[in-house]
Amino acid sequence: MAAPPRHVSMLSISNSNAGTPQSASSDKPQTPQPPSTPQQASGLRVPSNRKTIYDRHLNRSRNAELSRASFAYLFAEMVTYAQRRVTGIQDLEKRLNEQGYPLGLRLLDLLFYRSTSTSSSALSSSSTSSSPPNRPLRILPLLHLIHGPLWRLLFQRSADALEHSVSPDTPNEYMITDNDPLVNTYISVPREMNMLNCAAYIAGVIEGVCDGCGFEAKVSAHNQPTEMWPSRTVFLLRFGDSVMEREKVLERAGIK
Amino acid sequence: MSYYFTILSPTDTPIFNIAFGTSKGGGDGIARFRFPDTAQYMNQFIIHSSLDILEEAQWTNGGMYLKHIDTYPPASAYISAFLTPSGARFLLLHQPPQLPSSGSSSALGASSLLGSSGSTTRASSSSVAANPTSPQTEEAVRQFMSEVYESFVKTAMSPFYKQGMEIRSPVFRSKITAAGKKWL
Amino acid sequence: MTSPGDGTPVKPPPSFSPGVARNASKSRYPDESEATASLDAELADAHTGSSPTSPLPTATAELPIRSSSPQSRSGRSSTPQLARSSIGSPFDGRSDGSEDIRSLIIRAFSPTVAIYASEDTDALVRNKGFKGGFWDLVRPFGETIPGKVVIRDSIGSSRAWEDYGVRFVNIKGLGAANAARDSPLAQMEEVLEKQLDSGEDTLGGPISGKDVLGIPATTPLSKLFLRQLLSSTPATPHETFGHPVASVIAISSRNTAPLETLRQLYAESSTGEKRLPDWIQQDYLRYYVLIHDEERDDIAESTKLYDQMKRHFGLHCHLLRLRSSQCVVTDDDSIQVPPCEWLSPREHLSGVGEAETLVDLGTDGTPYLFDSDATAIKTFIRELMVQSVIPFMENRVAVWNDQVASRRRGISGRLAAVSRRWPFGSSSRSGIGSSGGNSGNYDTTQNFYAPESPEATLRKMADFAFMLRDWKLAASTYDMIRSDFGNDKAWKYHAGAHEMCAVSMLLNPLAMSAKIKLESVDQMFETACYSYLTRCSDAPHALRSLTLAVELLKSRGGSATETAARWAMRVMDFGLVESIGQILFMERVAACYASKTPVTGAKWGARRRKAGMWSILAADQWLKAGKPSLASACLEEAERLYADVLEADGAFPMPEMQTFVDNLRHAVKVEYLEARGFDARDESPIEDPIGTEEISEKLDKRSHRRSLIGLPAQLDAGNLKLSPGPGTLEEAPNDDFERA
Repeated sequence: MAAPPRHVSMLSISNSNAGTPQSASSDKPQTPQPPSTPQQASGLRVPSNRKTIYDRHLNRSRNAELSRASFAYLFAEMVTYAQRRVTGIQDLEKRLNEQGYPLGLRLLDLLFYRSTSTSSSALSSSSTSSSPPNRPLRILPLLHLIHGPLWRLLFQRSADALEHSVSPDTPNEYMITDNDPLVNTYISVPREMNMLNCAAYIAGVIEGVCDGCGFEAKVSAHNQPTEMWPSRTVFLLRFGDSVMEREKVLERAGIK
Repeated sequence: MSYYFTILSPTDTPIFNIAFGTSKGGGDGIARFRFPDTAQYMNQFIIHSSLDILEEAQWTNGGMYLKHIDTYPPASAYISAFLTPSGARFLLLHQPPQLPSSGSSSALGASSLLGSSGSTTRASSSSVAANPTSPQTEEAVRQFMSEVYESFVKTAMSPFYKQGMEIRSPVFRSKITAAGKKWL
Repeated sequence: MTSPGDGTPVKPPPSFSPGVARNASKSRYPDESEATASLDAELADAHTGSSPTSPLPTATAELPIRSSSPQSRSGRSSTPQLARSSIGSPFDGRSDGSEDIRSLIIRAFSPTVAIYASEDTDALVRNKGFKGGFWDLVRPFGETIPGKVVIRDSIGSSRAWEDYGVRFVNIKGLGAANAARDSPLAQMEEVLEKQLDSGEDTLGGPISGKDVLGIPATTPLSKLFLRQLLSSTPATPHETFGHPVASVIAISSRNTAPLETLRQLYAESSTGEKRLPDWIQQDYLRYYVLIHDEERDDIAESTKLYDQMKRHFGLHCHLLRLRSSQCVVTDDDSIQVPPCEWLSPREHLSGVGEAETLVDLGTDGTPYLFDSDATAIKTFIRELMVQSVIPFMENRVAVWNDQVASRRRGISGRLAAVSRRWPFGSSSRSGIGSSGGNSGNYDTTQNFYAPESPEATLRKMADFAFMLRDWKLAASTYDMIRSDFGNDKAWKYHAGAHEMCAVSMLLNPLAMSAKIKLESVDQMFETACYSYLTRCSDAPHALRSLTLAVELLKSRGGSATETAARWAMRVMDFGLVESIGQILFMERVAACYASKTPVTGAKWGARRRKAGMWSILAADQWLKAGKPSLASACLEEAERLYADVLEADGAFPMPEMQTFVDNLRHAVKVEYLEARGFDARDESPIEDPIGTEEISEKLDKRSHRRSLIGLPAQLDAGNLKLSPGPGTLEEAPNDDFERA
């Protein structure tokens, strides 16, 4: 395993390797040994420098970057680990999805924390700049949150497209497109597994974000290569009935 | 003013709670609720019942700090709420001290203790303790909630913490106590 | 974790559940209710049969017949305890129940008719077994007038009412009634206690109090409370509900000098010793009744006398034919006299209402009446109301509206009102009636307005409109005068006008859609309550207005239910009710919250947790009051309420709550069984309170993540045109991967 990051609560570690913006999305499963674990109530081990996670600042690492090589290595390990026990492609994707889910929940809290604690918000370009952001109450603000701030937090750029299903039968389906998902950059899928898309992990992250905000949803990742973008991936979000019902109520109440 | 602070998971499970009293205006930081000691379950009942209001406010107000959302008039218990984006609920029950005229003997003791610190008590108590719905109180509670939120996010970032798990860290507790002392 | 299987702490086992007792008592019921129902049916039949022959010779021809005939009466029984004995959940007052409460409140404000009978009449009736005389005989029948009663409102549209009633009072008690009156609130508490105790005593203890004796569930108890409250307030100057709209002057065919007696009775009641207090307007309707003794006197004589009466006194006369002998159960055509619904707490305590409180209908002491007598009395009351009293009231309202209200509404009236508030414009003050200045018509030494003053007249007009159920006119009239009373510092009038203005606004089914209205109603109750309580120290009226606020706001539904709950808490806070009343109001708070329904399509908007909490608290209080059966009913109700918001196993998320509820359940169970004669002490206590270990186990549940459950199978990639793929649906092997 790679050396742990300096501390877990930070998302990025500075990077000297690649000039391109980098992701921190993999820091969750990669850390078997965080420096401090105050949750173990009985045998609390305070680090030698007397600094617990509560003494560290959540914003210190916000502009730092993580080594792309180490990320690629860790993600590869995750996929291998997941694959070891699965029965098929679907199962593998489900596992990747499950690994992403808790990250989504955490990112949500971190995202809002960072945008409230400083005025130059990571969320800024979405809508409001200085006032604390609102929790998304409707589907559209939620999707903008994912498409913009979340993607920027993970990949330092927005996602490439946001679409609503045109079919009247599936008004609950939305699509977010990433032309070149970072997680798939170093992955070459064998021919017999060509249905597999390892961005299922990111789908899990999205699902965690949706669920955390109270939008029951199922999210899956699908390959949709084009000439220009061979690894183009579409994330399909399907919201549950309860969400759609609530949408109607909130629309009537005039809540945006 | 006495406070009972609870963090509830998205599934209503309490993951942290603490009771404390005001430290402003000579308060000793010890909670003195109006219920007898045998009836401390009332705090939980009141908080639990305020979830009805919270669930409604949650979808009409997009802010994280929802301010004072509910009151339980028989005990003058006021509930303020803060909602994290991931669905954890911070609920603060605050209860002004019982007026000496109608107070029981224990409340009398508390108020005389407050009274001993003289005029400064009154000056500062008008800011937070006296009026649970004043803008000053709202602001103080908001500051308190924000500090709790920071500690909560730090907790949530730990890979050994799963959502919905009880927070048992003594460091977390001391952080909350400090925030209470600072703002409330 | 408590599995749904060992549900003891969650649901009381059947052996413990009061359902057993309930079944038992239910089985006692059918016969009785059937018996009464059939009696009732017979009565109706008899009514149909005899009405053509009933003695209404000609007098009615000129008057418009304003209603359908008596036989068209609805199924609504004239014996109210039948309706009350239906067994239901304490909180079923949501749809039909709230109508019920509204009807109860409306009927509480029925017109009052004073009865003044000659000695010979009372003697005749006493012979029949009615100790109170003629008043005692007719009173129960006045509470529901058979058939529809059609009333025209101020704009000329008519509406038929099935549940119209009249309150008969004895003229002898009217003036004296409010002289010596020791706290009706304490009396009410006593009545409630008595009712609860009798509930348990009559059947020898064990059966739960709420299953018997007309208290089948909690709502009936609070209904009893409400009825008590609304009938406890005597006639007062500041409102005219207790003032007679008419008086019935009755003589019998035994009288030797009938016309002289009638004149004498009239004189006594208007100028003599039976004259009503000064604050009652004296020009009420007089109605003359001749009671013909079927057994001793000649009908031809009586008819002749009756014709004479009509010549002398006009059309407001009636010939009532009664048999003079006492009726007993064993007589062929005996029927039971319906119990009085509106007994004041004092009457309850003095045992007048014994017949009502005892559900056992066969109990001795209940008076019986010949069928023909009952029919004759009903016909009499119907005629009295439909042909005389209601037209009289309609007429008065129209006249006052025309003469007093419109002037007050007009420019000069408004000017006068303004100038009264700003006492510099004394020259423009002549606009209204005899008003002479700021405190013009208010007699500050005796604290009432002269009955002829415009203020008192407007109040009376509003009250008449209210009793005629023209709430729109009533509300606007109260609204018009409420500030005048404040200017005059007539605080009780002030409070009363605010109270009734709010009440009539709430009763008006059409008005009040906007929230603003609700706020103004709230404000009016606030003012009324303050004036009653703080300025006048009139706790009974304050309690009445707040209780009306609670019940009417609750029946409005929506956000008004929360306001209702708040008022109920205020009642407790003010200490207007004593221990049993406090518990009843706790139940009302729970019922108010329980009646709030969620927003359609959304999961929020209900107040189940709040309702559940108040039910639990009420259960705790019932237990402390030594009524385990009522406590158990509240607990069951709480379970039902909490069922929607708790996890499937019914466990509370908070450990101290769970412990408290478990202990409460256990205590209720023990006391309940003890009350039934079992020793429950040795029973093993409820399962150990849930330990921390179990709690943290619960925490691991991932119920939050609904979205993952069953994801792969349903969201089969093959369904999506994007990327068809072979789905492998085998069970996923267990994994120790981190899950949130």
